Amino acid sequence: MRKYLFRRLLQLVPLLIGISLISFFVMHLAPGDPTALFIDPNVKPEELARVRANWGLDQPIYVQYFLWLKNACLLDFGRSYTTGQPVINEIGQRLPVTLLLMAPSFLLTLLITIPLGVISAVRKGSWFDNAVTFLSFAGMAIPTFWLGLMLMLLFSVKLHWFPAVGNIILPLITMTIGSLAGLTRYQRASMLEVLNQDFIRTARAKGLPERVVIFKHALRNALIPTVTILGLTLPDLFGGAFIIETIFAWPGMGRLGVQSIFQRDYPIIMGIVMISALLIIIGNLLADIGYALVDPRIRYEKSK
Amino acid sequence: MECRKFSSLLICSLLFSATVLAAGVDSEGVLRFSLGGEVSVLNPILSTDSVSSAVEGSIFSGLVTVNEKLEMAPDLAERWDVSRDGKVWTFHLRKNVKWHDGAPFTADDVKFTFDSILNPKVNSVRRSDFIIDGLPIKFRIVGKYTLQAILPKPFAPFLVNAGIGIIPKHLLAGKDINTADFNRQPVGTGPFIFKEWRAGDHVTVERNPDYYLGKPLLSKIVYKEIPDANSRLVALEADEIDETDIPPKDYTRMKSVKGVNIYEYDVLLYTYLGFNLANPKFADRRVRQALAYATDKKQLVNLIYRGLASPAFAPSAPVSWAYSDAVPKFDYDPEKARQLLKEAGKEDLEFTILINQGNKEREKAAVILQQQYKKIGVKVNIRVLEWSALLKIVNAPKAPKEFEAVIMGWSLGLDPDAYSIWHSSQYPRGFNFINYNNPKVDKLLERGRETIGRSERKKIYAKLWQAIAADQPYIFLWYPKAVVGIRDRVGGLSKPGPAGMFLRLEKVFIKK
Repeated sequence: MRKYLFRRLLQLVPLLIGISLISFFVMHLAPGDPTALFIDPNVKPEELARVRANWGLDQPIYVQYFLWLKNACLLDFGRSYTTGQPVINEIGQRLPVTLLLMAPSFLLTLLITIPLGVISAVRKGSWFDNAVTFLSFAGMAIPTFWLGLMLMLLFSVKLHWFPAVGNIILPLITMTIGSLAGLTRYQRASMLEVLNQDFIRTARAKGLPERVVIFKHALRNALIPTVTILGLTLPDLFGGAFIIETIFAWPGMGRLGVQSIFQRDYPIIMGIVMISALLIIIGNLLADIGYALVDPRIRYEKSK
Repeated sequence: MECRKFSSLLICSLLFSATVLAAGVDSEGVLRFSLGGEVSVLNPILSTDSVSSAVEGSIFSGLVTVNEKLEMAPDLAERWDVSRDGKVWTFHLRKNVKWHDGAPFTADDVKFTFDSILNPKVNSVRRSDFIIDGLPIKFRIVGKYTLQAILPKPFAPFLVNAGIGIIPKHLLAGKDINTADFNRQPVGTGPFIFKEWRAGDHVTVERNPDYYLGKPLLSKIVYKEIPDANSRLVALEADEIDETDIPPKDYTRMKSVKGVNIYEYDVLLYTYLGFNLANPKFADRRVRQALAYATDKKQLVNLIYRGLASPAFAPSAPVSWAYSDAVPKFDYDPEKARQLLKEAGKEDLEFTILINQGNKEREKAAVILQQQYKKIGVKVNIRVLEWSALLKIVNAPKAPKEFEAVIMGWSLGLDPDAYSIWHSSQYPRGFNFINYNNPKVDKLLERGRETIGRSERKKIYAKLWQAIAADQPYIFLWYPKAVVGIRDRVGGLSKPGPAGMFLRLEKVFIKK
């Protein structure tokens, strides 16, 4: 296991370099640059060219990339063009705020979807199952921004329970509802599949109590696909965070990312791409380790 | 109708604020402003976005400022005089002004500010404002409180440019201004002192009791960053912010919200349909005039803005002191349009209008124009591009530029100088991207910026707008109005106008 982890961590290096290379060049393919957006008739083109040169944007793209890579290896990700602050500081201020929203939402999602999915599968066809199915589809069909605004109108304008902006409750609810629907469906389907298998019939035939059959024999197997899906939904969470952060004025990294893209603030964009890539890779690594925990058949590099 | 309702609303609110003023001002009052984006940097010589400028307005002050009549008025400079040749401007500074950290403000700070802007190492795009025909303006300290600006040639827009916020020499000298910590914890001379900045969330400033124009009535201002327009409206309704812009589509709904007053006023903006004159399709001015006759501006304004805009006829705005109504207007006349097209031999005209994605008003305008021009047999195609992609085409440094027509808008400065938009030297590099070239217009533009007296300039600009409108290089479409919602607990507002309603922040208060 330790050897496996070490190898996986070693793979990070070429992976991150590859990601940085592709992102850097794709980013520069987009038309415009950070100065092209100052369309003020009083600003002369030569002044914009001067500012571009101060930022090193007048150099060939591959030179810019190697400079970036060299500094990045020393953990210097440059300074934002718009604020003049180090990228590390900018992201350092915003990432914890995003995680503060994402982590509880992730946890809530797990705590709600697994029992819902299991109960739906066990009581397949019951009114409870039908209700959960209906709500899941409704949840999938409702766009996040609409749901967010509706919650604001209800809880802030009509009921005055929570502030519309800058408070965690409403974005947390919106974000959780957004990810509930899909995962509940997955959990239900994988549980159903397991429940139909021979070893469950055997367990029941042995006379084991239903509780043990479901939670010990069935659930453990039904969790394997869920763990995979969880690992894969991490990028969605980052993407979803942007919309939710914008609607609820939550000062997280998603918003910083999109603003930087509009402003073509290259150093910040690169910083965010790298940190998101790192987090997603680590998330997937954790999912792989999670397999070993839930599935006794999976063992990485048995040490003998 | 709209107008009458508006003026009675205004009178009501003026009477109302007068009565509460007598009743009392909440000395602990906190004003909650909304910002539509993120504050990037709090240093007036570096910031390029309106969001940062809005916050800087409370912290910093300039030599001169704008008043309700859009005239330049004294601020850090008590008065100023101009030499007869228009080249030497002498500013007499206010004495006993202190920076927020207690240090005295002097002419050194002013010189330092302008010299920093001119320093090529400093990433200030405002440098253009202080370079005339390639030569920089020189700044000379004459006394502790007197500073001279020596211009290479007369340049009227200089006074407006001199209104930029002044930064403290004692805190920035010898530092790299681009990256200084100062830009996150600024020190100014304005009515409010910087207190706190939570990135992406809010900036708080508090009352400067020593402010030279009087102690502010508000104890604090919180600038809340709310990027989503719908969320800002909800926050205004839920009484979490005191002020925000109202998009035309929400106008009627917001008018019925209790506790919120809606104000509409004209701003220094216009929207236009511009033609690439380097393209043979539009070289003949009769073609442009024909399209102008075929444009029903009243219909455009009614369908898109429901009255919250007015038809435009010239590249100036009615609220500008340099505006003149005496221009050819090309009132809607499809018959005349058809006739002119026939004379020009362009009856089978077909062209493509570029618009930028996400601008609903321009998207609607393109579709309506498509219908209007169809009536005179002209086929219009519409292409929607992302903003940067569109700018890349129109700002391409080389001719020919790859577009036929484009719907865009100009935000006008306080000074009427329009040299960079219309002068033939500003093509292909520059903002005359349509390749407009009229020697008479070039002359008027040059004279307009070199003449200092306002009444004389007014005459020059009247002739200029007339000459440009006759050529119709753009079809001027509309002047949008600003619509803002302000909670009724806020008093001490200035008269609604292009400069906004919070011109004198020290006089704004929260009603008790």
